[in-house]
Amino acid sequence: MYAFFLQICSNSIKSGLRMSGTALSPFPLIPFSFPPDIGNKSYPLTKFPTRKLKSLAKISCSRSDNSSHSTSQQQQLNLSVLRFTFGIPGLDESYLPRWIGYAFGSLLLLNHFGGSDFSAITPAQLRTEVLGLSLAAFSIVLPYLGKFLKGATPNNEKSIPEGAEPIFLMSQNIPDTLKEDLAWGTYVLLRNTNTISVLIFIQDALCVRGYWNTPKDIPKDQVHDWFEKEINKTGLFDLRETLYFPQAEELWEILPRGTRSFLIQPVLHTQDSSSDKTEMSDGFVLLASSSTYAYSSKDRAWIRAVANKFRVDATA
Amino acid sequence: MGAGTLIRPTPLKSSPLSQQRPPPGPPTPGYHSSNSISIPRSSTPVKASSSLNSQGDYRGPKPKREWVADWVSQNDDVVRSLPIYVGGLSLLAVLVNRTISGIAPVADASSSQSRADLLTLGLAVTNILNGLVWLSIRPKSVSAVNPEGVECQSICPLLPDFISSELLWVWESLSDATCCRSLIIVYDKRVILQIGFATASSNTHDAVVVDVDKLMKGSLYQGALKSKSQSYLANLSLYPAKSELPFLPPNTQAVILQPLGDKGLAIIGGDMIRGFTTSDQAWITLVGEKLDATLAK
Repeated sequence: MYAFFLQICSNSIKSGLRMSGTALSPFPLIPFSFPPDIGNKSYPLTKFPTRKLKSLAKISCSRSDNSSHSTSQQQQLNLSVLRFTFGIPGLDESYLPRWIGYAFGSLLLLNHFGGSDFSAITPAQLRTEVLGLSLAAFSIVLPYLGKFLKGATPNNEKSIPEGAEPIFLMSQNIPDTLKEDLAWGTYVLLRNTNTISVLIFIQDALCVRGYWNTPKDIPKDQVHDWFEKEINKTGLFDLRETLYFPQAEELWEILPRGTRSFLIQPVLHTQDSSSDKTEMSDGFVLLASSSTYAYSSKDRAWIRAVANKFRVDATA
Repeated sequence: MGAGTLIRPTPLKSSPLSQQRPPPGPPTPGYHSSNSISIPRSSTPVKASSSLNSQGDYRGPKPKREWVADWVSQNDDVVRSLPIYVGGLSLLAVLVNRTISGIAPVADASSSQSRADLLTLGLAVTNILNGLVWLSIRPKSVSAVNPEGVECQSICPLLPDFISSELLWVWESLSDATCCRSLIIVYDKRVILQIGFATASSNTHDAVVVDVDKLMKGSLYQGALKSKSQSYLANLSLYPAKSELPFLPPNTQAVILQPLGDKGLAIIGGDMIRGFTTSDQAWITLVGEKLDATLAK
């Protein structure tokens, strides 16, 4: 497959910039059967595009219009052949443009400084080099943009921060049903989302699970108090909105050191007072993850649902 | 709790069941999503809500808006074809540059000009191919199909309070987080919850009563309980066993059958083909286990 990619490149270059017609013809995309998943883990199950690629008509250069209309029913543009994998586990091929950008950009600079001597550099070459460097910069940025497109699966590998230990802490003097619910809630959040640490605080009951950086000099029974003190410092009790930090730069002390994104979901219930509905906070759920952009909107919806489980029903 | 009365959970989203659910739009970019306002699923981004003033004692940092992420998620199609345009234009630019500078269009690596040209061409081709790959992996946009039927909310009256509140929590989570529009829970040979949309019976305007015996003898129920794992019928119209679920609206698009231990089954109907993602399936499995543990009490 790697050879195939090289071949496309070399074909385009060697044939004197003549583009091969099959790659860019303007006929409409017909749904094709799924190609087997070839292990490129950054791309999820393919769904076939339904829109005609009218925009490609400007770029294509080889097909004439009448032939494309007549044969549009039989033709299938199988673009999925462009997806490939090197087969090396752990290597994310969607970052290939970034590596090519770095490699070719540095080669361009090498060519500029190490090629023919300075006086012989023509304006034409300078133009090409400027164009090449800006293309390299664009290619480097490309995987970052691709992360936000629909259908991009986030990287779900959890990396455990160093120095963090797994703990499971729960307040003691709470009813058994609440204990079970807390245990289930923390388990489910750790398992189903890209989370390494979770903390649930409901009506003075605390449950902490996952990898946390507790200070080492505190004896085991006072860890609980340490958590409460840290929570008081940040004042998370009165939170009314969901806060999501997809790229956390400044972290609170309470969070483990390798946290890159975290989310705080308050548990609210509406209280119908005499004139209007006020939202009272019963507590919050804090989730921390070691990768950026860890929680998609679907994850956030489910986290909201789990948080609602702990809601105190005023009318119960 | 009397027959037919429900503890209706205080809805945190302001859209009640009878309102038409708006079609799912781009992912909500509002990181300040306030729980008291239903998140508008339109194409305009949710502005950072101004209720930060009512934060009370919260003293921590506030998240800042993510411009790039928001822009890319909203202009998905443009961004997908952007690399193709960039690559194609640079390809042409290189050609034009070569011709107007009077250099012969020979692709060899002898002069440094040619080398620079080749590298630029390589980058342009990479961009074009990347754009094509992005276009090929564009997810098919499926639109939600409004279920035909009547809304109903019926719960078995003999259940203790904690079970009924748990059941209502399950319904609320499913309808909020997934494309679920109907939910039926069968346990211990009885229907204990039927909520959401259901087929209207022919003579009255109420929902059709579920025939539990027929359901339990059918292949879907037996198969689900025997395999003890979830079964996902992503496109219900392709399954002839659809006739075993006459109580679901006839145009239900996807169904998940989640067995609850050995004694029950949860039937979750959705309004989009392949509407339940793999993460939804995982969540539903875990919620099903929790529900089974609760119901077993």
